[in-house]
Amino acid sequence: MSRRSTGLRIFGVIVFAIVVTLFAALIYAAFQNDGKPLDTFVPKGPSSQEIQNLVLPVFAVAGVVFVGVMGAVLFITWKFRTTSEDDPEEFPEQIHGRTGLEIGWTILPALILAGVAVGTVATIINLNKKEPDAIQVQVAGQQWWWQYKYDLNGDGNFDGPEDITTATEMVVPAGRPIQVTTTSNDVIHSFWIPGLNGKKDAVPGIRSPLKLEADEPGVYRGQCTEYCGLSHANMRMLVRAVEPGEYDTWVTNQLKGHAADPTDAKALAGKTTFKALCAQCHVIKGVNDEKMKTATVPLTAGVAPDLTHLMTRGTFAGSILNLYDPVDPNDPSVTLPASDVAAAGDPGAALTGGTVDTSRVNRVSLEAWLRNPNAIKPNYAQGGRGMPNLGLTEAQIDELVAYLETLN
Amino acid sequence: MAIIEAPPTEQLALTGTVESDYKPAGVFTRPKSGGTGWKSWLTTVDHKKIGIMYGATALVFLLIGGFEAILIRVQLWSPRGTLLSANAYNQVFTMHGTTMVFLVVMPIGAAFANYLMPLQIGARDVAYPRINAYSYWMFLFGGLLLNSSWLLGGGADGGWFNYAPNNGVLYSPSHGIDFWNMGLFITGIASLAGAVNLIVTVLNMRAPGMSLMRMPVFTWMTLVTQFLLLFAIPVLTVAQVLLMMDRLFDANFFNVAKGANPLLWEHLFWIFGHPEVYLMILPAFGLVSDMLPVFSRKPIFGYPFIVFSGVAIGFMGWGVWAHHMFVSGIGPISVTAFSLTTMFIAVPTGVKILNWTATMWGGKLRFTTPMLFSIGLVTMFTIGGLSGVTHSVAPADTQQTDTYYIVAHFHYVLFGGAFFGFIGGFYFYWPKVFGYMLNEKLGKYNFWLMLLGFNLTFAPMHILGLQGMSRRIYTYDAGYGFDLWNKVATIGAFILASSVFLFIFNIFYSRAKAKSLPPVGPDPWDARTIEWMIPSPVPEYNFDPIPTVTRVDDFWYRKYGETKDGKLVRIAATEDVVQQRSDGKHIHLPSPSYWPLVAAFGMPIIGYGLIFNLWLCLIGGIIVVGGLFGWALEPPDDPDAAHADHDPVAHGSDDGSAAEGDTVGVTEKEVEPVG
Repeated sequence: MSRRSTGLRIFGVIVFAIVVTLFAALIYAAFQNDGKPLDTFVPKGPSSQEIQNLVLPVFAVAGVVFVGVMGAVLFITWKFRTTSEDDPEEFPEQIHGRTGLEIGWTILPALILAGVAVGTVATIINLNKKEPDAIQVQVAGQQWWWQYKYDLNGDGNFDGPEDITTATEMVVPAGRPIQVTTTSNDVIHSFWIPGLNGKKDAVPGIRSPLKLEADEPGVYRGQCTEYCGLSHANMRMLVRAVEPGEYDTWVTNQLKGHAADPTDAKALAGKTTFKALCAQCHVIKGVNDEKMKTATVPLTAGVAPDLTHLMTRGTFAGSILNLYDPVDPNDPSVTLPASDVAAAGDPGAALTGGTVDTSRVNRVSLEAWLRNPNAIKPNYAQGGRGMPNLGLTEAQIDELVAYLETLN
Repeated sequence: MAIIEAPPTEQLALTGTVESDYKPAGVFTRPKSGGTGWKSWLTTVDHKKIGIMYGATALVFLLIGGFEAILIRVQLWSPRGTLLSANAYNQVFTMHGTTMVFLVVMPIGAAFANYLMPLQIGARDVAYPRINAYSYWMFLFGGLLLNSSWLLGGGADGGWFNYAPNNGVLYSPSHGIDFWNMGLFITGIASLAGAVNLIVTVLNMRAPGMSLMRMPVFTWMTLVTQFLLLFAIPVLTVAQVLLMMDRLFDANFFNVAKGANPLLWEHLFWIFGHPEVYLMILPAFGLVSDMLPVFSRKPIFGYPFIVFSGVAIGFMGWGVWAHHMFVSGIGPISVTAFSLTTMFIAVPTGVKILNWTATMWGGKLRFTTPMLFSIGLVTMFTIGGLSGVTHSVAPADTQQTDTYYIVAHFHYVLFGGAFFGFIGGFYFYWPKVFGYMLNEKLGKYNFWLMLLGFNLTFAPMHILGLQGMSRRIYTYDAGYGFDLWNKVATIGAFILASSVFLFIFNIFYSRAKAKSLPPVGPDPWDARTIEWMIPSPVPEYNFDPIPTVTRVDDFWYRKYGETKDGKLVRIAATEDVVQQRSDGKHIHLPSPSYWPLVAAFGMPIIGYGLIFNLWLCLIGGIIVVGGLFGWALEPPDDPDAAHADHDPVAHGSDDGSAAEGDTVGVTEKEVEPVG
């Protein structure tokens, strides 16, 4: 049994070296946070910072234990290995146990964990503190996008005339706490903006609280993290934190509707198409919202994204596609990122109701989406889950996009 | 009774006349025992054959589940992978998890428990041999039914956890989840029947002198595991019945529109699901606790601590289920409570790690393949345990849960823990089961290759998860920083797969080579527990005579004595204390039976019937009832069962000393096991 094989030894040493290198590389990689929009180690708000303050020491303790156990095992395997000189009939001292030692190493981890427990409980209490002046937002998941409703007048109702319903993108003022209530219109989803806080499941029939607050203006990305069926991977979310003044302008704009017909003839034709085909599920305030209040939407979740202010959002289709090119496509000195979603498309002036810079609108993706949504984001439109392929002609698509571009 | 079916020979003789008057109809004649052909496997009630069948079947399912894992890794090699559609991917990851948990790790645990536990306690067989066969067939048919979904409209697509309401017909209209439900019903019955059987066996059928605190650690862990199964499986079955009612008969248990609370499923699933985690890992803990002392040449450090920490894990495992639900909205009080219980279950687990380390300390370590895998378990499981502690910290878990960090965690626990222990156990017990050693050199390559592939596959997932990659996503986009580590993980998966193939190659290679090697003998490792004192491969009757046990590691102390200051001296040659193969004619063994197979065969038919056509249920039901009828009415023995040459002296118990196999002159003692 103690016959040595050089090949085996070399192989063992190589494997050991690779594994050690791998672990070192991974620890290094854990601190490389650039270009990782979902990184959990880059807190951008008080709640995520609170979690970070707890997580780092816990990881440090775990790291010490890890090094200790690995070191001990390696030392033991080296120190007490059998060598070829050893007499096979000679035995080590037969120790059956040391009760004192064993009680010691039962109590020691218990004490370490008790320390961790104190920090954990304190953090749970802090994270669940109510913020009295928080903005109330109800976040509802459905296959496979998010709906946001703002209770602006604080009456506890999210559907009043002074409240906002929007989709895909949540706009918040930086530096102000948001009290999110998660729920779902179909299956269980999970709302997660790692930069701002941990996740909270969106469970149908249940309303769960989650605090969000962004320290600085910026775009914070997220991903649905409770498996929710076919296009779970394509269900993302985006929180756009803006300066408080800009937020107020955004609110004012969101409360408006689009009753007036567009002046452009192509856009007007697009509106006709919208009313004929899209308006069965989608709402545009001032166009079909009154009618939709009594209509039965043929969707499992009973709701499709509100399109009233589509162009004020940077993304669409469950935040997987950019509504705007992230850079000026006419500037030859910048190359577009390989992936359409690598950067958060900036709606620019449209965000607060200004004019849409149509040269920046990502028509390629928007048209592809209207042409065949299922090819981009798998769905079960035939079962009322997701957007069907409406068989639109290229002319209809062109007109629809022209109309959508007016929805600032 | 200490010895099943064998000792009360006088009683058997008394009833003999009654038996001979009984002329059963031909169909009720039992199959003949002692065969070796394929038919003997179909009708066997021998715990060893059943254990081998469990293991072999689990290895086949391992290849299926492993293939699914490779599909997942290839799909995630690069952003926007195109190998699998979203729909196919969702089925593949669901079936990968379900297969690995229910059809690989659990049955390998069952294989070891079936084969090994009766040997470790010195029993002839398990308490209910026919029920044991029934358990195996139910497991096989459940697994086949589950996997037949691939050919009948697609696999389940709800994840192995299968949360409501996504598991409802509205959201998963294919039959995949019905197959999942029926398949796991049937394997659940297998586990339950097995649990009752093995618990009774451990509690009632130990050899004379084998008190509970003299049992090998693996037997202890088997006992804990089977109790966990006994109480956990019914909870899953309850949830599954509710789901079946919803899916097949339009009930509303999980229909939110009718006022259902979808968290009901989560609670039921995890009340089952968390003990499930421990019942998957504890058998491997037991194996390692038996292997480390052999190759450290020292007794296990703190046998009572090892045993009671296992029992403590078994108890505490019931109080931590909601840590799977920290973000489900259960409220801060529940979150706090389950966060604390979860932290403190790390204590008994940590005790085990430290006791294993202390077992090696001061030993003379022999780095055989089983030893390498045991050390692999100790180190890799430590990583999984530590990452487990980090997500017992509930606020941290709100960032980590449902990311790849969790995937990394439980693969370190279940692969680095349970599976490393099982592979080590295969290498360790292979000579005992099949009579030849697996090649040690290949085995060590096997270990290093598996260690490499395992770490390359799963270690990067920690970072992927912490940097935000969600679980169960069929695709990811460039620009999230997931590319590099996914590639590393995929490369690792192929290395891991090759290490599994190397293991399978080693089986056939060593088998061919063994023909030119001398037989391995009963005790190739200089081992400690009594299963090593009987011939390899184990004769059908196991022990002849049944040994009397006087202490932990009884076999070891038949070979060696220990002085007061802890010095070990050989007191007997191994050849003199092991048992010789006898013809076993005087030993009464349970006779084979057709009926467990027949009764089990009806169940999948009922399953298909519930899915496709209720008339099939009638046919399946008739087969089940008929099987049970035959089971009840078949004669107690096969036609050849020999009773004439029963000789009370021949299976008297020995006195545990280093004596010849047969203690002549000792009359049969009535020794009741303690406990």
